[in-house]
Amino acid sequence: MKGAKWFRSWEFMLLLALVVELGVLGLINPAFLDVQNLLFSTSDFVHVILAAVGLTLIIMTGGIDISGVSLMGLASIVLGLSFVAGAPIWLAVALALGVGLLAGAFNGTVVANTDVNPLVVTLAMLFFYSGLATGLPSLLDMLGFKAYGAGGFEAYQYEGINGLPKSFTWFGTGRIGWVPMPLVITIVLSLAAGWLMTRTRFGRFLQLIGVNQKAALHAGVPVRRTLVAVYALNGFAAAMAGLMLTAYFTSARADLGSEALLNIITAVVLGGSSIYGGEGSVLGTFLAGLVLGYLRQGLLALGITSDVVPVIVGALLISTVATRIALSALNRKRANRAAYEAERAAVAAIGE
Amino acid sequence: MSRIVKSREFLVLVLLVAMILAVSTVNKAVLRPITLINIANSSLFLMLIALGQMFVILTRGIDVSVGAIAGLSAVVFGFALNAGLPLPLAMVTALLTGTACGMVNAAGIVLAGIPPIIMTLGTLGIYRGLMRVLTGGSWIESIPHNIKALAVTRILNVPLMVWGVGALVILVAILMHKIRWTRNFYAVGDNSEGAYLLGINTRLTRFVAFTLAGLFSGAAAIVFVGQIGFVPMQTGDGQELKAIAAVVLGGVSLMGGTGSVWSAVIGALFLTAVDSMMIFLRIPGSWNNAVAGAVLLLVVVMDYMIRRGAQRRRLAARAAEMLRADDTDDGAGGSKSGGRSGATAGAAGPVGGEVRP
Repeated sequence: MKGAKWFRSWEFMLLLALVVELGVLGLINPAFLDVQNLLFSTSDFVHVILAAVGLTLIIMTGGIDISGVSLMGLASIVLGLSFVAGAPIWLAVALALGVGLLAGAFNGTVVANTDVNPLVVTLAMLFFYSGLATGLPSLLDMLGFKAYGAGGFEAYQYEGINGLPKSFTWFGTGRIGWVPMPLVITIVLSLAAGWLMTRTRFGRFLQLIGVNQKAALHAGVPVRRTLVAVYALNGFAAAMAGLMLTAYFTSARADLGSEALLNIITAVVLGGSSIYGGEGSVLGTFLAGLVLGYLRQGLLALGITSDVVPVIVGALLISTVATRIALSALNRKRANRAAYEAERAAVAAIGE
Repeated sequence: MSRIVKSREFLVLVLLVAMILAVSTVNKAVLRPITLINIANSSLFLMLIALGQMFVILTRGIDVSVGAIAGLSAVVFGFALNAGLPLPLAMVTALLTGTACGMVNAAGIVLAGIPPIIMTLGTLGIYRGLMRVLTGGSWIESIPHNIKALAVTRILNVPLMVWGVGALVILVAILMHKIRWTRNFYAVGDNSEGAYLLGINTRLTRFVAFTLAGLFSGAAAIVFVGQIGFVPMQTGDGQELKAIAAVVLGGVSLMGGTGSVWSAVIGALFLTAVDSMMIFLRIPGSWNNAVAGAVLLLVVVMDYMIRRGAQRRRLAARAAEMLRADDTDDGAGGSKSGGRSGATAGAAGPVGGEVRP
């Protein structure tokens, strides 16, 4: 990706869109363009970016995992419950991330070993994990575990678990220099995912599976292992996103992130990934996530009610994809026309 | 007959009956007719949107906006009733709203070529946002009481709405059976290019499927408003995923071309029954989703294993036949290579039926 080619890439378009968007919002409301404000408002939506980056890896293989939104809540409640059960906070974090990893790996195992559509598998798991997250407190009570405070674990079911230690909430509310921690975490993990996708054999395998799973199998790609690994990574990313939200809100809840599905898939698709697989980039998803997030923030700052925001996001999603389809049709037509002209010229040359 | 017994719909029906019987050993109250009627009654909303979803998935599409369409139709229905429109006219408005929403989806997917999940995910946001914008975010209450009469009236102890939706389901089933054009849904879903080459208007078929999904979501909105008598903002929230779960549970494949009206009906009944059974088992309602998800996963994986078993048996039978053909051919004194070609012919015989000696 160098020189002129980079300027025609989708990622550059997104970058341009981001600059234009910030410029327009800044013109209307100059207070919006304050750097500190811009950096800090990312904390409201970076969980969407992180989950979308994980999903990008899966969509690359032609699969999909919609259960990530439930995993955010599950990771959050696992952290909270293990904390009130008396576990040290680092153990609680490790447990929550481990649950995310395992849950993702389970999705991957089912997807890789059956021919059931990934959408169906992860739809079932979306229900299952969200049910698990809401049911876990009463289960722990039934099993006889002891929690701090009166009313056992069930008391925490609806109000969320507060009082998490500062060393943990710092990851949601603290900052390094001017950069808030959630953004730091998201950038680091996105860089890792980008490296995985473009610089490793694993990334090549993902793309090959997405282009043609059978061909990948015959070419000796360990398809099953790769699928399990990539779904596990997505589970990890979702759990991480859930923990980031928990730290940011300083409260562990079972329903964290459940609203994010539309935004996550919009970020992935707007970022240039094809839901048919084999095409996509982590950088694109990251930039698209920023575009979407700032759009939302900007609209709210302009006094547009949050009711209208999904209308705009939805319209944006549809029009982006429609534009891309139209552009590719136009390109195809142009290429056909060029080939036709070349053919005619060649025939004419023979005739002379 | 054996075809019915082997079908996925039947499998899930058996599971449903087994579940109810199993729960009845713990709590006898489950088997009271009123319980079963209540399950049917509360499944109506899900059943209708699942029915619409079925048409879409048959053609290998997906529609994640059906819940939002139902919500928007319910809002329009509430407005129409509050504006003093007579009930039948208000119903028509709701149905028209649903149909119009479905046609917008269809236009984006069929005319512009946008992938169904992207298009309907976008309109999910749009319809849900519109619903909040129209109402200003508040519930629609004070709806005239005559609509409640539909839900409260009972014939033979069964609510009028159950009769109504039941009649509608049977009507749709008969139409699907009688009208040849409805086979197009299956043809397009199973093999779109093949259907096109057969002269089927694949674009029209898919357009109609998405429009029907909208129409049935509009009908679901009428049932919803009739049953609870007001329109909360959450109308239809998350129901699109439940509807997909219901039809898939009932045997509609996301790869298109398989499934029936009964898939939607039995799937919706099953998911609703799960919720009720939890109450009878005194399990907290917070577990509902976990159980529904586990059941869905179990059924689709089980279905895969049954299909794989059948496939392996078929292959084994064919291999055995090949071996037999090989033996007889060798006995007749053919060379080894001749024997092999005979074996392929023998194996292909019962399948293709066109093998010349």
